[in-house]
Amino acid sequence: MDNFSMYLIVMVYFLAVAFLGYLGYKKTKDSKDFLIGGGEMNPIVMALSYGATFISASAIVGFGGVAATFGMGIQWLMFLNMFVGVVIAFIIFGRPTRRIGAKLKVSTFAQFLGAFYDSKKIRIFVAAVIFICMPLYAAAVLRGGVFCMQEVFGIDFNLALLIFTIIVASYVIAGGMKGVMYTDALQAVIMFLCMAFLVIGVYKALGMGFSEANAALGAISDQVPEKLAAVGHRGWTSMPAFASQQWYTLVTSLIMGVGIGCLAQPQLVVRFMTVNSTKKLNQGVAIGCVFLLITVGVVYHVGALSNLYFWQNDGNISINMVDASDKIIPYFIGRVMPTWFVTIFMLCILSASMSTLSAQFHTMAAAAGSDIYGSCVSESAKKKMTVVIRLAVLVSILISFIICFVLGEGNDSPIIAISTSLFMGICASAFLPSYFCALYWKKVTTKGAYASMWVGVVATILALLFLHAKEATALGICKAIFGTDVLVTNGMIKFIDPIMFAFPLSCITIVVVSLLTKKK
Amino acid sequence: MFGISDPGIWIVYLLSILCVIGSVVFGVKYWNKEDENDKKE
Repeated sequence: MDNFSMYLIVMVYFLAVAFLGYLGYKKTKDSKDFLIGGGEMNPIVMALSYGATFISASAIVGFGGVAATFGMGIQWLMFLNMFVGVVIAFIIFGRPTRRIGAKLKVSTFAQFLGAFYDSKKIRIFVAAVIFICMPLYAAAVLRGGVFCMQEVFGIDFNLALLIFTIIVASYVIAGGMKGVMYTDALQAVIMFLCMAFLVIGVYKALGMGFSEANAALGAISDQVPEKLAAVGHRGWTSMPAFASQQWYTLVTSLIMGVGIGCLAQPQLVVRFMTVNSTKKLNQGVAIGCVFLLITVGVVYHVGALSNLYFWQNDGNISINMVDASDKIIPYFIGRVMPTWFVTIFMLCILSASMSTLSAQFHTMAAAAGSDIYGSCVSESAKKKMTVVIRLAVLVSILISFIICFVLGEGNDSPIIAISTSLFMGICASAFLPSYFCALYWKKVTTKGAYASMWVGVVATILALLFLHAKEATALGICKAIFGTDVLVTNGMIKFIDPIMFAFPLSCITIVVVSLLTKKK
Repeated sequence: MFGISDPGIWIVYLLSILCVIGSVVFGVKYWNKEDENDKKE
C-alpha cells in the first residue's frame, strides 16, 4: 500500500471520529448528558464502548508480546476479562449499580459511593484518588498512541503528541460521554474486524488448523530459552511450573491483578449508568463477551503461535527475533499479513489507545469538575457545571500531556509501569470492597467503607514500595531506608502482586469496622 | 484437547467457549425481558 492510500485511510478515520464527536456535541444539553450520556444510551453502543475502553493498546501489543514470550497461560486473563469483566461485572455489579445510581440520581462513580454512604468525605476521597492516580496511567496510554502515530506518519514524537492530544481532546471536550461512547463504538468495530482478519491470516500463513498448530507449538517446547526455563517456563502450550517466579507473576499480577482490578474501575462502572433499563445491560453481556473473545483472545493466541511461525520460517523463536517483547506483535504482523493490513492494524492500535484515553480523560474531568468542585460550590453555581467539567477535561488532558512531554520519547521511566500497577491495585483494593458492599451488604457502614478505602490505598502503596520487587527496586525507597531492595528477600513474596495483600486487608477492614460501628 | 496436553491451558479455552455460548444464550433469552425490579420502579 502506498503512502497516499495509507494517509487517506487514517484521515478518513479521523474525520469519522470528528463527526461522531460533533454528533455527541449536538446531543449534549446538560451535565447529565455530558457525564452519563443522559442515561439513555443504546445497549450495543454501551457494550462496544465498555469493551473498547477495557482494551487499551497495551492489552494488544504489550500482553500479545507477553503471550509470545510466556505462552498461552495468559489466556486465563482473557477468560477473566470475559467472565469477571463482563458477565460478573454486568450481571452482578452492573444491574444494581444502574438501579441504585438512577434512584440516587448520580452520574459518576465517586457520586455513587458518596451518595450511597451519604458521605461527602467518601465522594471527595474517591474523586481525589482518581484525579491523582489516573493522569500518570493516562500518560502511559497516551504514549502508546503517540508511538503508534509516529509509526504511521513518520513524524517527530512531540508533534505526534500534540496532534494526538488535540484530536482526543476535541471530541471529549465537545461531545462529553456521548462523543466518547459513539467514537468508542466505531473504534471497537475496527478492533473487532482487524482481529478477525488477523486470526484468519495467521492460520493461512501457518498452513494448519487450530489443534494441529497447537500440537506443533507444543512440540517445540524444548526451544524455550534457559533463562526463561529457570523461572518456570515449560513451553508455550503449558502453564508455568507451579509456584515458580513466572507462575506468581502470571497468576497474581496479570490474571488476578488485571482480571479482578477491572471490576471497580470508575471509567467502566460509569458505563452501567448510561443505559435506562436492566434489559439493556442483559443485551450488552453477549456483545461484550464476543468482543473480548475476538480481540484479546485472538491477539494472545496468535502471540503464542508466532513462535511456531518463526520456528518454521527462521529457525528461531519470537523473543529472539526482536529486542523487546512489545515489538513481537507488530513485527509478526509485518511478516505474516499483507501490507495493507499493517496500516489497518495501526488504526486498530490507535483506536484501542484513543478509546481508553478518552474514557480516562472523561473520568478524571468528572472527578475534578463534578465531584470535587461540585461538592464545594452552591446549588446555583452548579448550573454552569457542564462548562466547569469541560474545563476540567482540558486540565486533565494538559496534565497527562505535560507528563508525556516531560518523559519524552526515549525515557522508559518506571513511573509509567508503577502508576499503572498503582491505579489497578487501588481500584481493586480501595474501591472494590466498598462498592460491592454498597450493592449487597446491608450491614455496611460509612465508617467501614471509609476505613477500607484508606487501608486499600495505604496497603497498596506500602506493598509497592517495600514488597513487590518490580516497583520497589525501581523506586529505591526500600533500599534507601533499609539497605535492601525489598523487605522480604527469601521465597516468592517479592513476586506476588500488591493486590494480593491489599485487597484482603481492605475486605477484612470493611467487615470488622462495619460490625463495630453504627449504620448512619 | 485442542492439540494441547496441559489441562491448565485447554481448560481455559474450553471455559472461554462455554462463557461465550452462555453469554449469547443469556443475551438472547433476556433480550426483551424487563427486569422485575425495573417494573416495580
